[in-house]
Amino acid sequence: MSQIAPVSADCAKEKGTAKVVCFAEAFKATLNAEQTAQLQLEYTKSNAVKWSNFPEFRPTRVGIRLGLLNPAQLAAAKALMSAVLSHESEQEGFGEMEGNLAADDFFGQHTNNPKLFSSGNFFIAFLGKPSTSDLWELQFGGHHYAFANTYKGGKIIGATPSFRGVEPSVFEWNGKKYQPLEQEKDAFATLIGSLKEEEKTTAKLRLSFNNILLGPNQDGKFPLEKQGVKVGDLSSAQQKWVKKAMESYVRDLDAETAEEWMKKYTAELPETYVAYAGSGTMNQVGDYVRIDGPSIWIEYSAQPSRDIPGTTHPHSVWRDRKSDYGGN
Amino acid sequence: MPITRTPFGETEKPIMVEINGPLTRAADRPEGGTALFRACFRLFWLCLFLLPLWGQGGLFAHPMPNSMVILNVHEKSISGEIMLPLGELQSAIGMSVNDRSERLVERLGDALRMYLKQHIRPRSFEGKPWMVTLGEMKVIETKNELTGDYKELIVRFEMTPPEHYDLRNFYFDYDVILHQVASHKVLVNVRQDWERGLVSEDTTTQQVGVIEWDIVQGKLNPFQVSLQQGSTWKGFQNMVSLGISHIAAGTDHILFLLTLLLGAIQPPIPCGGGAPLRPSPKGSKKGSPFGGWGAVLKIVTAFTIGHSLTLLLGSVQWLHFPSKPIEVLIAVTILVSAFHAFRPLYPKWEVFIVGGFGLIHGLAFAETLTNLQLSAKQMILSILGFNVGIELMQLFLILLVFPVLLLLSKTRYYVFVRQAGAVVMMLLALAWMVERIQEKPNFITELIS
Repeated sequence: MSQIAPVSADCAKEKGTAKVVCFAEAFKATLNAEQTAQLQLEYTKSNAVKWSNFPEFRPTRVGIRLGLLNPAQLAAAKALMSAVLSHESEQEGFGEMEGNLAADDFFGQHTNNPKLFSSGNFFIAFLGKPSTSDLWELQFGGHHYAFANTYKGGKIIGATPSFRGVEPSVFEWNGKKYQPLEQEKDAFATLIGSLKEEEKTTAKLRLSFNNILLGPNQDGKFPLEKQGVKVGDLSSAQQKWVKKAMESYVRDLDAETAEEWMKKYTAELPETYVAYAGSGTMNQVGDYVRIDGPSIWIEYSAQPSRDIPGTTHPHSVWRDRKSDYGGN
Repeated sequence: MPITRTPFGETEKPIMVEINGPLTRAADRPEGGTALFRACFRLFWLCLFLLPLWGQGGLFAHPMPNSMVILNVHEKSISGEIMLPLGELQSAIGMSVNDRSERLVERLGDALRMYLKQHIRPRSFEGKPWMVTLGEMKVIETKNELTGDYKELIVRFEMTPPEHYDLRNFYFDYDVILHQVASHKVLVNVRQDWERGLVSEDTTTQQVGVIEWDIVQGKLNPFQVSLQQGSTWKGFQNMVSLGISHIAAGTDHILFLLTLLLGAIQPPIPCGGGAPLRPSPKGSKKGSPFGGWGAVLKIVTAFTIGHSLTLLLGSVQWLHFPSKPIEVLIAVTILVSAFHAFRPLYPKWEVFIVGGFGLIHGLAFAETLTNLQLSAKQMILSILGFNVGIELMQLFLILLVFPVLLLLSKTRYYVFVRQAGAVVMMLLALAWMVERIQEKPNFITELIS
């Protein structure tokens, strides 16, 4: 019954999917039977689509709540997330995820509603048994955060849908400063700012957007027609800003995985479109930007804060027209 | 299913549910069940599911950022309410409607009406435009612990198809806010539809669908409304079951009836000790052939005549009293009846007094039927059906309780039972009176509800 888990340190020696599976199994081995039953689910599309940007004010997500883990179990869960996220920048990748957890603790205290807004209300789930051959998904998420890596045949076949948002945008918690989405915001503002007047006219959307279009439960609804300015028509300097904006999402993943996706998105860059609505500064209510390529889809929307009047907070999503949920 | 807008503006059901689908509630109902059964079942259901939610802040907690259109389907027109979150409206038309919402309707009412008229264009399937009339507009502000403050513009409106055109199948070409805000959604619901038996007094509505942008095509399609056909018979049936549930759900009405029954059975004062107790003394001509039934029949008939009269007059609004004094008076009628049950106060005038009480109770029944905006035909059928339902439920209660009381009255315990019952009723009546005057529950009324 009590099979002792492989020590996580050994997992670090592994590579690729084997490494992820190793950390996943190590985490699973720390759980009791009841917790394991919550964590380990079947791979089904209906489980896979159960992510949200909302806090868990009613049962939405599947998996085990971080609040139910003891310190050792939580450390094992974080070791797993640490293995699939990047460590290149303090506020990106694993740091961004930690920022999102801290943001909810901060927000719970700020709104005096720590039961709803709490890092304990984030969920982790294995859809299908972690495997270097079969289909499975590592799902992680909570308020303003969704992560979905799908694996099959020992390879990662999907890294989306991936939701990123945060409220407040910049804050301090336990003596540490967090700004999980500022890098994304700055990248978009720089990109739109780099456009010339007539490019801006082309890129500007006629309609207004107070939220992203393809949030939870909006799977596969990519527009048939791309809108905005074609990246292939932009200067190489401008194209670099587009790439930078993409990287602020893709490079949250571990370097090896991120590289794979960036290679594809870079190749498709000329056929990719950038469109925006609002001021282009990304800090006004209604500011919106979209990157729409043959594969990549990123939306970012600045919306009014309900609890911190006069401020905005971002909602954004990275999707892939072909590989959301690993194409399933 | 009831629509719910959750604290974060989500619709409880996934948006893709039955976008243009017909309403199915009428079909969901078991056809064979009697109205009585259905009412009892509904009552049970209501208690089971609604009571735990009581005081938790309502299901309409937070509409942001969706709009909502609520429809009341009448015989020849559809009236309703539109709720527009001001933040979203500002994104669509500017004018700082959210930033500066004070005296909004006075300042910008005309401009807003013009805007709304341009964006609410119902039309028949053949393309014939309906007539749209805008009514009262007001801004409401809601404070919510979970979601912060938000403001909405509420607009009343009515739309009428050209004569001979279908009221239940049409294009609701509506793009208020949507013409500009691609992320916006409009939830369309029916609250009242008499012919399909939808006249509930609560806030339950039926979702017709959601008007939203087709993201894939990049288009905003006209929203097609196809409401299921109802019928006069279905409408009538529903009123009968509404009458039944009205009595079944009203503890005060049920207890009032019990008190009347207690008072109606007055056993003789036993003389000489050993004589058996009989409900009617010395074989009185009216009472004896049916035991106590005769007295009960008279009293119940008097009550029925009384409440039918004021139900009729109140429903057609020839008579109108504010509901608070009526509710207090109802408590008074229970109190007086309880005294009478304890010790007969008006043995000779019983029938007239009870008839008078009926007049008061009828006014309360009428409250249910007013404000439904029914046509004359529907109103007459509603009064009739509602009254039939009330009678059926009363009859049911009497048949249930009276035989037990009658048997009890033949025992020596009856005097005690009647007087103890009367004292309890008096206490309850007093508790209700206090509650209705103070407009807040007290521990006794909370105990029995």
